[in-house]
Amino acid sequence: MSYKIIGQRITRNEDAQLLSGSALFLDDVHLPGMLHAAFLRSDYAHARIKSIDTSAAKQRSGVVAVYTAEDFGDYWHVGPLQVPPPLAIAGAKFNARPLPPIAKDKVRFSGEPLAVVIAESRYIAEDALADIIVDLEPLPAVTDLEKALQPDSPLVHEDLGTNLAADVQQEHGNYAEAAAKADVIIKRRFYIDRGASGAMENRGFIVDWDEKTQTMTCWSNCQAPIPLRNTIAANLGLAASQVRLITPFVGGGFGPKIMTSQADDVLLPWISMKLKRPIKWVEDRRENFLATTSERDQIHDVEIALTKDGRILGLKDVFYHNTGAYDPYGMTVPLNTQTHTTGSYDIPNFYTRVIMVFTNKMVVTPVRGAGRMYGVYVMERMIDIAAKELNIDPVELRLKNMIQPNQYPYKTGIIGQDFVENVLDSGNYPATLKKAVEIIGYEKFIKEEQPRLRAEGKKVGIGVVCFVEGTAVGPYEGARVNVDGSGKVTVVTGVSTQGQGHFTSFAQLAAEQLGVSVKDVRVITGDTGHFHWGAGTFASRGATVAGNAIYSAATKVRNKALQIASSVLEAPVEELELADGVVRIADVPNKFITLGELAMRANPTRGTIDPNMEPGLEATAFYGPPHGATGQGAVAMIVEVDPETYLVKIKRFVIAHDCGTVINPLILDGQIMGGVSMGIGNAFYERMVYDENGQLLNASLMDYLLPVSTDMPPKMELAYFSTPSPLNQLGAKGIGEAGAIPTPAAFASAVENALKDAGIEILESPLDPCRLWQLVQQKQ
Amino acid sequence: MKLEGEHVFNGPQADVWEMFYDPNVLASALPGTQSLTMIGKNEYEGKMFVRVGPVSGVFDGKLLISNEVPPESCTLTVDGKGAPGFVKGSGDVKFVAQADGTTLMKYEGEVQLGGTLASVGQRMIDSVAKSMIRQAFESLDKALQERIAARAEGRAAEYKPPSEAEFAAAVAKDMGKSVLQSQEARVIMYVVLALLIMGIIAYILSNLPK
Amino acid sequence: MSKLYPIKVNVNGTIYERDVDARMLLSDFIRHELRLTGTHVGCEHGVCGACTVLFDGKPVRSCLMFAVQANNHEVRTVEGLGDKDHLHPIQEAFREKHGLQCGFCTPGFLMTVTAFLEENPHPSREEIREAISGNICRCTGYEFIIDSVELAAQKLAAAEKA
Repeated sequence: MSYKIIGQRITRNEDAQLLSGSALFLDDVHLPGMLHAAFLRSDYAHARIKSIDTSAAKQRSGVVAVYTAEDFGDYWHVGPLQVPPPLAIAGAKFNARPLPPIAKDKVRFSGEPLAVVIAESRYIAEDALADIIVDLEPLPAVTDLEKALQPDSPLVHEDLGTNLAADVQQEHGNYAEAAAKADVIIKRRFYIDRGASGAMENRGFIVDWDEKTQTMTCWSNCQAPIPLRNTIAANLGLAASQVRLITPFVGGGFGPKIMTSQADDVLLPWISMKLKRPIKWVEDRRENFLATTSERDQIHDVEIALTKDGRILGLKDVFYHNTGAYDPYGMTVPLNTQTHTTGSYDIPNFYTRVIMVFTNKMVVTPVRGAGRMYGVYVMERMIDIAAKELNIDPVELRLKNMIQPNQYPYKTGIIGQDFVENVLDSGNYPATLKKAVEIIGYEKFIKEEQPRLRAEGKKVGIGVVCFVEGTAVGPYEGARVNVDGSGKVTVVTGVSTQGQGHFTSFAQLAAEQLGVSVKDVRVITGDTGHFHWGAGTFASRGATVAGNAIYSAATKVRNKALQIASSVLEAPVEELELADGVVRIADVPNKFITLGELAMRANPTRGTIDPNMEPGLEATAFYGPPHGATGQGAVAMIVEVDPETYLVKIKRFVIAHDCGTVINPLILDGQIMGGVSMGIGNAFYERMVYDENGQLLNASLMDYLLPVSTDMPPKMELAYFSTPSPLNQLGAKGIGEAGAIPTPAAFASAVENALKDAGIEILESPLDPCRLWQLVQQKQ
Repeated sequence: MKLEGEHVFNGPQADVWEMFYDPNVLASALPGTQSLTMIGKNEYEGKMFVRVGPVSGVFDGKLLISNEVPPESCTLTVDGKGAPGFVKGSGDVKFVAQADGTTLMKYEGEVQLGGTLASVGQRMIDSVAKSMIRQAFESLDKALQERIAARAEGRAAEYKPPSEAEFAAAVAKDMGKSVLQSQEARVIMYVVLALLIMGIIAYILSNLPK
Repeated sequence: MSKLYPIKVNVNGTIYERDVDARMLLSDFIRHELRLTGTHVGCEHGVCGACTVLFDGKPVRSCLMFAVQANNHEVRTVEGLGDKDHLHPIQEAFREKHGLQCGFCTPGFLMTVTAFLEENPHPSREEIREAISGNICRCTGYEFIIDSVELAAQKLAAAEKA
């Protein structure tokens, strides 16, 4: 399929506003009479609430109200679950414990809200927090995944009688049989941790209840505006049509902004209705670390069964997953781990079991990669370890076991986060690996450069890994495309935008069908006042799922325009073309009619219309895939480890990637590179450090290290493949999380290779100079 | 976080032991203490203003003395909370009479921190804690001398706690000292000094009358 | 009611006279008093650089300053560079090279870069990489930002010649 505008590397529509500082972000919203909220949050990770005395806070000048759980009366409720339990998986055990908006009786993580202050300014609200006297009876905290399941462990939820949140087993083929036939069985334990999303803009929420019109307007920087709007309306007993939720420009999402039904969006609307005034809340960075979701640790016990010539017969992975104190987001993250372990490889027997555990930490929800990275990490490390044991080159071993281009659709037998079997739709996996290996000069490096540099005392190493990325999952998205009487084109869709260029890529999809300039297409995303059907921006699905709906809607508008023009210009549809904002007879450019005029003709204000026609040049369309589309790629990386400080410098970084049809290659590059920088952060710089009392010890950017420009490789080398997905008319797949998924595994592989003289084996992530030094010392 | 160390008091063991039961002495030893009252035989209750870098605020706390073997050893348990977070811990304290009439005090304990203090103040807690302890010992030393002198002179003892400004200055000085004590800092100082001297000599030489 | 202090600040060429609380941060003053919301707050503890403005020509973290410190001083924010219909060459370069995605950190980068290019009009890529290492971006991976600054330097040099 050859496109004129889709696939063009064009600059973005939204940039002029963003660059000039005139773009509206959440905290920029200013409403007359607006009050400010601040939350008092628990210092203890696990405690019983004995009393909360807000009287002094209420006395402070400028404080309008102070609420605790009791003050909300019957309105206080727990949940709902954001993601339903995995009932589609046979035998799945799931203990639902949705997140309370504010703690009642007990706190279960450090940062859990205890009280909310509403005041004339944010400064006064925060002052008042110090006036609140809280009497908490500390309880021993649960922080270790394995200890949490011991019979004598303190319980996060006493009524449950256990800290087990879920237990889900899935099997494809029969691992036990495969192991019996294997020549070699290798077992390892992995400890993998991730961290916060670190979006530059923290979370926030603004709500304005207008008593006179009985309507509520909310601003949120969430990734799921429509479900959130629906929940708010339902909570308050309002009709959905009484509540409008607007997402302005958002300063990065990366996952945690998908989590809703938290203190702010549950409590502040109720308070706004009570006080009849607009209320704003914006998180500060410390709150973000404590009380916004992030991803956390998993412990994997992995076993791989191979023949001695390197054919993988089976893989077994039993892992613990930390869900934090509650599990409102279901099993999305660990299910992604399960569906992304065997990844690019044709492994006929795979057993995976996740034991999800409650601990006294904030809830875990997806962070870019959303659980995929853990599966990729264990698989790629096991292959490297097997390669060493079998004395086979690690790239060779991968190619030997790869899914071949003629094996699609490849049914994995494992059910994923969308509750259907994960089926790999298309790709050319060997090609991406071979390309990455070729670009980095693998052979030459291993045979010539590495030995030479080592002889000079430089600890250089190379790592090569492959990964898959499940994207574009259902359920669906929708869009409306409209050409108005002046010829202006508007595209409206339910997903919200956090920097991934929707205002341009979506415009390209419409412009392709309507023959207008991309700059002339206005895109509105994430405003329930304009469009109220859809699920949200997650799982790298925006461009593909919403994109396909937009393309379909634009196609419908195109067809209608051609229909009307055909009768006006008295020419058959086949002879007409859309270009430059008009419909004209091809080869007779002076016989044309503008889109605006066509729109007016389609919407008369007098007379009669064809009973089958809908007015105007407007169409709505929806798209829901049968299952997700899977992107794939390979990463090759060369690092140098300083022999004294154990600081790691990335010398080269290559990523070869396949995400099907590309809408805008410039935006694609940005997404890949951004993902890689997050992956580098997760590999070496970022870690949320908790002590055994559940205290987060590094809740600031001073101590939680986000990578900066000097931590990046000198150049990110990208290679592109495009096997269109058969699942949708555009052939598109998602790409948003690709860079983040393989990088920690590649990093571990390259660093292990660099330190191969020390003979260490890296079975954990993240790494840091101290840890590397420790590993080397332990070996000596 | 672990806290351990020793200190030599310039006075007899019995006096040192008694000081710990005198709320006036204790209140003066830790600056920032706004109030300290004995609420039981071995229990104190008080308010203390604490600053660790950017984090500061008033703590409400309880101090319990237990496992007493007077005048040799006891266990101190502390439990404080406030806007900046919470502090919980306990430590064993031993007093050993020395041959020269001084008293060696040894302490070993474990303290848990939580809240803003733990999540933002991490970098500074170690050095601030050590500095506070050092300061406290200095104050206690002074108090001990005053107590001994007052008894000798047959008058009531007067304890003067250092002001918060003095305390903050002392903490800063301690932290500065620990920086200067590092190897590199010393090398840099010597190099700079050497260059300066060379520079002065060069200037003098170049300006000698021909 | 706490005491208010009268201050006079020159922001982007306009003199603003206001009465402020001693503890009002410069970032809050710019954003909420003056409603110049282009300057963003990412961490409020001086690490991310999103709040960077030029204070008497030098880049500073406005979240670590008080409004009263700006009394009788000159502040330049991103709104002083250009507007959406007339972008400054540095802004134009960022647009051409896709040096931004969500745009939240961007005003901070623009101000840092504005001061940097005044000081070093012909920087190498390495120098650019160092110069921007005090601003955090979570979206781009920095590569295209470096490309943008390179192009910006070229554009400014060309404008100089013209």
